[in-house]
Amino acid sequence: MSFSQFALQLLTGLQIGAIYVLVALGLTLIFGTLGVANFAHGALYMIGAYFGLVVSSQLGWGWAALLVPLGLFGVGILFDRGLLQFFYKRPVTDQILVTFGLAIIIQELARTIFGGTTKPFPAPQWARIPVDIGFGYYPPWRLVIIAVTIIVVILLFILLRYTKFGLMVRAGMRDPEMVRYLGIDATRLFTIVVGLGAMFAGVAGIMGGPAYSIEPGSGMAMLVPSFLVVVIGGMGSLVGAVIAGLLMGLAVSFSVIFVPAVSQVIIYLVAVIVLIVRPRGLFGVEGIG
Amino acid sequence: MKKQSLFARDSIYMLIAAIVIFSLRWTLPLLGGYSELATRMLIFSILVLGFDILVGLTGYLSFGHAAFWGIGAYICGYILLHFTQNILVAMILGVLIVSIIAFLLGIITLRRHGIYFAILTLAFAEMFYYLALAPLQKWTGGDNGLTGIKTPQLFGLELSGLAMYIFVGIWTLIALYTARRIKNSPYGLMLRAIKSNEERLTFTGINVFRYKVMAFLISGIFAGLAGTLFAAYETYVPTESLHWTLSGEIVIMSVIGGFGTLIGPMMGAAIVLYLENVLSAITDQWNLILGVIFMSFVIFLPGGVMSLSKQLRRLFSRDQVPANRTESQGGD
Amino acid sequence: MSNQGKKTKTLSRRSFIKTGVAVTGGLMLGNQLGIGPVHWSARAQDYPALGNFPVGDKVVFGFNVPQTGAYSDEGADELRAYELAVEHLNNGGGMLATLMPSSLTGAGILGKEVTFVTGDTQTNPDAARDSARRMIERDGVIMFSGGSSSATAVAQQYLAQEAKVIFMDCLTHSNDTTGKDRQRYGFRHFFNAYMSGQALGPILAERYGTDRRAFHLTADYTWGHTQYESMKQFTEAQGWATEDNIMTPLTTTDFSQYLTPVLNSDADVLVLNHYGGNMINSLTQAVQFGMREREVNGKTMEVVVPLYSRLMAQGAGDNIEGILGTSNWDYKLSDEGSQAFVTSFEAKYGFPPSQAGHTAYVQTLLYADAVERAGTFYPPEVIRALEDYTVSGVGPGAVEYRGCDHQAFHDILVVEGKAPSARDSEYDLLETVKQVPRAEIGYECDFFPGELGPYGDES
Repeated sequence: MSFSQFALQLLTGLQIGAIYVLVALGLTLIFGTLGVANFAHGALYMIGAYFGLVVSSQLGWGWAALLVPLGLFGVGILFDRGLLQFFYKRPVTDQILVTFGLAIIIQELARTIFGGTTKPFPAPQWARIPVDIGFGYYPPWRLVIIAVTIIVVILLFILLRYTKFGLMVRAGMRDPEMVRYLGIDATRLFTIVVGLGAMFAGVAGIMGGPAYSIEPGSGMAMLVPSFLVVVIGGMGSLVGAVIAGLLMGLAVSFSVIFVPAVSQVIIYLVAVIVLIVRPRGLFGVEGIG
Repeated sequence: MKKQSLFARDSIYMLIAAIVIFSLRWTLPLLGGYSELATRMLIFSILVLGFDILVGLTGYLSFGHAAFWGIGAYICGYILLHFTQNILVAMILGVLIVSIIAFLLGIITLRRHGIYFAILTLAFAEMFYYLALAPLQKWTGGDNGLTGIKTPQLFGLELSGLAMYIFVGIWTLIALYTARRIKNSPYGLMLRAIKSNEERLTFTGINVFRYKVMAFLISGIFAGLAGTLFAAYETYVPTESLHWTLSGEIVIMSVIGGFGTLIGPMMGAAIVLYLENVLSAITDQWNLILGVIFMSFVIFLPGGVMSLSKQLRRLFSRDQVPANRTESQGGD
Repeated sequence: MSNQGKKTKTLSRRSFIKTGVAVTGGLMLGNQLGIGPVHWSARAQDYPALGNFPVGDKVVFGFNVPQTGAYSDEGADELRAYELAVEHLNNGGGMLATLMPSSLTGAGILGKEVTFVTGDTQTNPDAARDSARRMIERDGVIMFSGGSSSATAVAQQYLAQEAKVIFMDCLTHSNDTTGKDRQRYGFRHFFNAYMSGQALGPILAERYGTDRRAFHLTADYTWGHTQYESMKQFTEAQGWATEDNIMTPLTTTDFSQYLTPVLNSDADVLVLNHYGGNMINSLTQAVQFGMREREVNGKTMEVVVPLYSRLMAQGAGDNIEGILGTSNWDYKLSDEGSQAFVTSFEAKYGFPPSQAGHTAYVQTLLYADAVERAGTFYPPEVIRALEDYTVSGVGPGAVEYRGCDHQAFHDILVVEGKAPSARDSEYDLLETVKQVPRAEIGYECDFFPGELGPYGDES
């Protein structure tokens, strides 16, 4: 394998992983704080992508970059107030079922509105012509995906590390009961966390849409690998989600060079191996799950 | 005395079940269905029965039951296609291999609970799906599925149409009887104890893990059996039989019917298949309708159709003290 | 067994309406003996019951198309065309005026009014069979048709053979459909992967020269494999070299990891043996990766998509510009039959039909015509009427269902994606480069091994 081949495949792996990371961050944040396994997270990704498609084609990309994250934050708050809050205390099984049901409904609604066909979702003009990055040409949009993911991850870590809100979330992730004893308005905290999670999914959607194009099944297709990423990283572990996401992306990318036939199997294989060796995932915390 | 009356009640239960099972082929067309749909419903009802033994009793939600169904179907189909038309040989081998796989998967996955368990079973099932789709397509037929399977035979009798229906019906009865026996046995009680409080059970020194693996194994065998019957009935195995959407469908069926009630999931299977088939001919929004129905059940009727009848009964006979031992299914 | 019962039921109900209760028994007996007195087609009674034969007052067709899932738009277009076909069969119009020779009357088939039922295949072979079973058993369809993938087509063909109900495949491009998995009760009007290669090879050499190195990305299932094989064979026949081929799993949505090896190769042509969502994604991403601006060995890299459909062209958007592929039919064709169809389709729906719609429409008419010629709905006779029979006026040139494998042979098209500026509507996506005559494509009957199986009336 030549250096440029290795480097390109590495970059591709990072980019595939970046989308996983964006989706998985929200998933693991919601699970870690609220203890809710959100099977509708893929649907949020899909909403973000369709929303981005509509806004970017009508108003332009600037508006899309602004409105999609904000819009999805709103969707997340609605989602929490309208449905999730009633399932905080229900067993995980019920949470899975109700969010799974919601995911089906959202998918079908998207089909009704946008049709079942894959929609072209052009990237912004400036991101369409491949650029020379030293060891080959690469689509700028995919570099943007990696950059945006890095920024989102850094911002999230700053938010959690240096703000009062972050402190509360971290406390909640460690011990949900304690948050209540401390007299923190847990309900508001939870709602904002779901909003944030949805926002990340929305960002993933508007990033992934132009790279992969979009159809009603995109959400479900994104859900399963993202959940695997979360579980491999350890449910509720943000660091775990980032590392597992990148690991998955690289596994997918490099398997193509060696055994293309298993490139779809590989993520499941990795998941199974990790979970057998480390039942709580790479960075799993005792007491969660 | 008491034992005898219990036995009598059991017989009546099975008799009613037998009447429903063996009349479905003729009652269904009256409801806008068609006769072969009955066979399909029965096969799926065996699948969800097994699922109910695992999920309904122990509370472990598997999202990978398609694996057992699909593997059973592929093996049965492969044998019918290449080796013998003898259905019993194909079924026995199919179920045998599925039970080995179920046993191994049980040992690996049951160390985890809740979401981990769900995702782990899902991951395994998806792995089988992708294996069947591409790397193993020489044997599985890939995306085209396993085609050209000959009509299976039972001691020289061609099993199709009515004969297949009766054959499947007999298996459904056997499956229901077995599942009921398991549920009402001390063993079944133990499984339900796992659901209500696994930790406490562990402290009493009982080897909970062994019970769980057994439940998983039995559940897998039911699914494998149903899968082999499916291959024999369809004379075709699609790759979708390993896909996680099927696992999801099993969950939907069970929720609509009511977990832990055995009969409930069977009814759920019939309802979902009916909607899927009959409704899809009327509107292309049938998926949406099914989704809404499913969600309504999860939110408003966690006990499924079975609890509906119970609640109605309670409504009509106010003076009777409600004795709902299975009421608490959804909430605990 | 149950079929037998149902037949008697339909028969007696019909008789009941016609002649009243008193003579029901006698009439039925008469029917059995072939001396039935009053009937729409006396000859129909010469044949024993088989599948859903005999038919009732009305003829029922089953249209089983994807109404949900990735191909639902294609399915919707097929359904529009089927409805139009039924309308024309009952009331005249469309290709009824151009079909040559034609036995169609425009007053139903054999004097019976045509109705239809629909179903949803979900592009899932199991769901397709389930839905087809309902049509066959409950609705008593005498013919069913539809489909948007080879897997569903093949699965339904086997069912058709079992149930002795004729199935007219719609959109299926795999060689297997009329090759390894051919069935006596299945017919295909659509062309196949092998023909695509045959048609495309010479054009590619003409456009891009004979000194080219091709890199293939191939969807990892039988259609993809056969498409790759034929593209390889027919490009190499033109002097091209095949650099490499990567099999991409069917469910892939991100092809970037397969595209980077292409960037690191010596290849100057990229062939995407993909269909549907696969093709939309791989083409879009290939363009993103700059494959079209790439210079290799002093040549500009070219991308080829062996099979085009409107659905795919719409999904891939502007990226299709200048990309060559093949198509079964196009609404801009100027022959009489095509125009008759397009005109009536546009009049009814307000936009032009796709190639899927064309195939759906033509198949329904050709089936009906075969029934008229056979003088009966008895399936084995209809099959014999369809086999080795040539008509014209349903598209460019003549069409013939070959008797040995039930593959239709007719002119096919090599097409090129249009630039956005060159389009006159959102449906105007493909430019015909060459109408490849029927004589230039084809293969021997035994080129693909396969058995059609029995007609069902052999003793």
